[in-house]
Amino acid sequence: MEKNVLVATNISKSYVGVRALDKVSVTIKEGEVKCLAGENGCGKSTFVKLMSGVELADKGEGTIVLNGREIDKSKHNVISAINEGIQVIYQDLSLFDNMTVAENIALNKMIKEKRKLTNKKEVYEIAKAALEQIGVEMDLDAIIQEISIANRQIVAICRALALDAKLLFMDEPTTALTKKEIERLLDIVRALKAKGIAVVFISHKLDEVMSVADSITVFRDGKLVKNMEKDEFDVKKLVYYMTGREVEYSHYERKNTSDAPVLELKNMTKTGQYNNINLSVRAGDIVGLTGLLGSGRTELALSVFGLNPIEKGEICLNGKPVKIGSPVDAVRNGIALLPEERATQGLLLNKDMTDNVSVAILKQMTNAVGILNKKKRYDLANQMIKRFRVRIPNADTLIKTLSGGNQQKVVLGKWVASEPKLFILDSPTVGVDIGSKSEIYEQIQALAAEGMAVIIISDEVEEICANCNRVTVMFQGNIVKEFDEADMKGEDAQDKITEAIHSLTKSKAGKESETV
Amino acid sequence: MSKMKDSKKKFTFTTEKFLILIIVLYCIVVTCVNPGFFSAATLFDMIKSSAGSMVVAMGLLLVIITGGIDVSFTAVAISSGYIATTIMMNTGINNIFFGFAIAIIIGIVLGLINAVLIHVTKMEPFIITLATQSIFHGCLTTFVGTKNIGSVDIPTAITKFGGARLFTMTDEYGNKTGLSIYILIVIAVVALTWWIMYKTMLGRSVFALGCSAESARRAGFNSWKTHLFVYAYIGMLGAIYGMLSIGGVNACNPVSMVGTELTIIAAVIIGGAKVTGGSGSILGTLLGVFIMYLFNQTLVFLGFSSSWNNLFLGVVLIVSIVITSYQERRKNRRLFIFTE
Repeated sequence: MEKNVLVATNISKSYVGVRALDKVSVTIKEGEVKCLAGENGCGKSTFVKLMSGVELADKGEGTIVLNGREIDKSKHNVISAINEGIQVIYQDLSLFDNMTVAENIALNKMIKEKRKLTNKKEVYEIAKAALEQIGVEMDLDAIIQEISIANRQIVAICRALALDAKLLFMDEPTTALTKKEIERLLDIVRALKAKGIAVVFISHKLDEVMSVADSITVFRDGKLVKNMEKDEFDVKKLVYYMTGREVEYSHYERKNTSDAPVLELKNMTKTGQYNNINLSVRAGDIVGLTGLLGSGRTELALSVFGLNPIEKGEICLNGKPVKIGSPVDAVRNGIALLPEERATQGLLLNKDMTDNVSVAILKQMTNAVGILNKKKRYDLANQMIKRFRVRIPNADTLIKTLSGGNQQKVVLGKWVASEPKLFILDSPTVGVDIGSKSEIYEQIQALAAEGMAVIIISDEVEEICANCNRVTVMFQGNIVKEFDEADMKGEDAQDKITEAIHSLTKSKAGKESETV
Repeated sequence: MSKMKDSKKKFTFTTEKFLILIIVLYCIVVTCVNPGFFSAATLFDMIKSSAGSMVVAMGLLLVIITGGIDVSFTAVAISSGYIATTIMMNTGINNIFFGFAIAIIIGIVLGLINAVLIHVTKMEPFIITLATQSIFHGCLTTFVGTKNIGSVDIPTAITKFGGARLFTMTDEYGNKTGLSIYILIVIAVVALTWWIMYKTMLGRSVFALGCSAESARRAGFNSWKTHLFVYAYIGMLGAIYGMLSIGGVNACNPVSMVGTELTIIAAVIIGGAKVTGGSGSILGTLLGVFIMYLFNQTLVFLGFSSSWNNLFLGVVLIVSIVITSYQERRKNRRLFIFTE
């Protein structure tokens, strides 16, 4: 007989005046992999907070049953949730960066057991046992700061396992991972499932979700709109339930007729990163740059923006060779970079809209004697809010209060204000919900249509196919395949690109096994 | 992962290595200029005079690792020391353990006051302890007195304690030198601090809180308890620091000590503790304090006046924090994180 780990019935949550969750009922079975889907603000995070005891559900109607026992809703807290085996892996992972892998795995268990002393041997044993459960080996003495995000995530999972997790919530676990790392994570999820541990994903990436989930629960505006079982999964339907409308990405076609390249990379080489790269981007081109982590795509883009000094080769802008030694040179030459790490590298989170959009062009925002002109900045901010349809109360709103999608629009606005000739976008829709995604695509395509040269770096083949008129696939520092405009018009472009990336992974895996 | 294991242990130029290098080089230079420097007497003298600072630096290290700071410890030291001495004189209980007990109780109470204020008001520890420094010292000078207790009036137990030696030697000129029992207190405090830092959950919570307060809360650490502990601990060590300095100079001046706290904070930071919290080491801290006293006591051997002391200390402070941050930046650059 299948047991239910969690049965929530008619649960509601109101914040001052706002109903964040409205009579939601969710059942999670032992060993089930469930996905909570929905746009930002739909109530899925609120649901997790209620179940993990971070916040209290509204009084009155509604019950929560954990492991077969009804709990007192008004007394549920973090500790009681942990005791029932409910664990949340937050997006930031909540690890201690200066401590070792072993300590991070074992500490929470030792706190739970109200231990007063600690010793290395026991810490090691707890960590080893947890790692063994999912069949992963790891250097227990490594400091968290020095290991990859993917490994940090595994540490967080092991920490939950050490606490005898029965139900694991994972908030956006795949955003910072590459394709291969995601595969590894999904394998681990399957291993957990086999052990009878229920896993709940909260994710935007639909293809991954559908490959591993047994069921999908869709939230919209605080209400549960649909429960889907595995046999009825369908991307189009899912998107419809999430957004309440049909979303179709428009394919981009270049209309510009000039063939003169805006950017030309000639024989660019940096040992260990990329090798003999030749690439040209014309006005109106949207070039997709894809490949696995370690393919050199991000490193190449950083070189063009002056953050990663090149060893050999030449960067030409409008036919003239230029030297780009720092981001200052890059901006002066009309290059803009939308970084992957939006929060730390793209935005001033604690500043308002006005400050953020004007920061790249402060010189144009001043009066005759060089003092900032308030009106000019407000006009710019309002213009960008309108143009990019940023959902924001007003230009004085702090950026950190906005959702991922709206924040990304602000980054776009900042660079568009500087009127770049070449715009490099690194993973432009990471952590962005589907509704905003299509709006961001529209804007990127509009910019290219106006004559800007655009490079999109992305893992998502779907994103590349919708937006790019040319695609370059990199692998281990080399360009291994290029798709031109004719290729991209073909119906099967998406499959071909996936195949190009996939076949390389296979041959790489083959090589690795040979060397072992 | 295999890559991680294969990577050779590269030599990293840590703060501790840098400090040891400086100490060795400096000692060589001073010995060349003035061979009289290299003697047991100099070493013993330095151990005794730096003992108090080393003790209190251990408490400061823990506070800094939690991401906090305490600038009130000098006020705690002189308040508890002065009050303890006064009580010893007034009650006539001429016993050093009694004096220490009184001082430590006062120190812990003052430390707890700091902890409560910091935890409840959620204000910057720097501001709170800056205020309590004035309050503690103000209370002392207003309500207890500003009268200097000279070597004649001071309880003989303190005099005896200050002069006590583990062993005594006589050098070629007939001067008696010896190793002060202060070193036992330093060893005990260092061992206790090491045990707390690495062997108890409380010590782990100190590091955890400094790494990320939010993660520590989610993990179930009680930040309230941790705050109470670290500020009470530095309060206690501050009191010991007070008693050691009173014994060292065989006098008790209520307007001394306060104002010297930044030098000791600088010494802890020279030792590699990060002011943002989360990391710091006992060895580094001891070396930091040692360097400070090395300059303090031996610049005269080089023919410099004591005013050079601050200049040297400032230079070492800058070089040492630059090394720490450069190491980190290089690491970040390899992971493509650009912080500059």
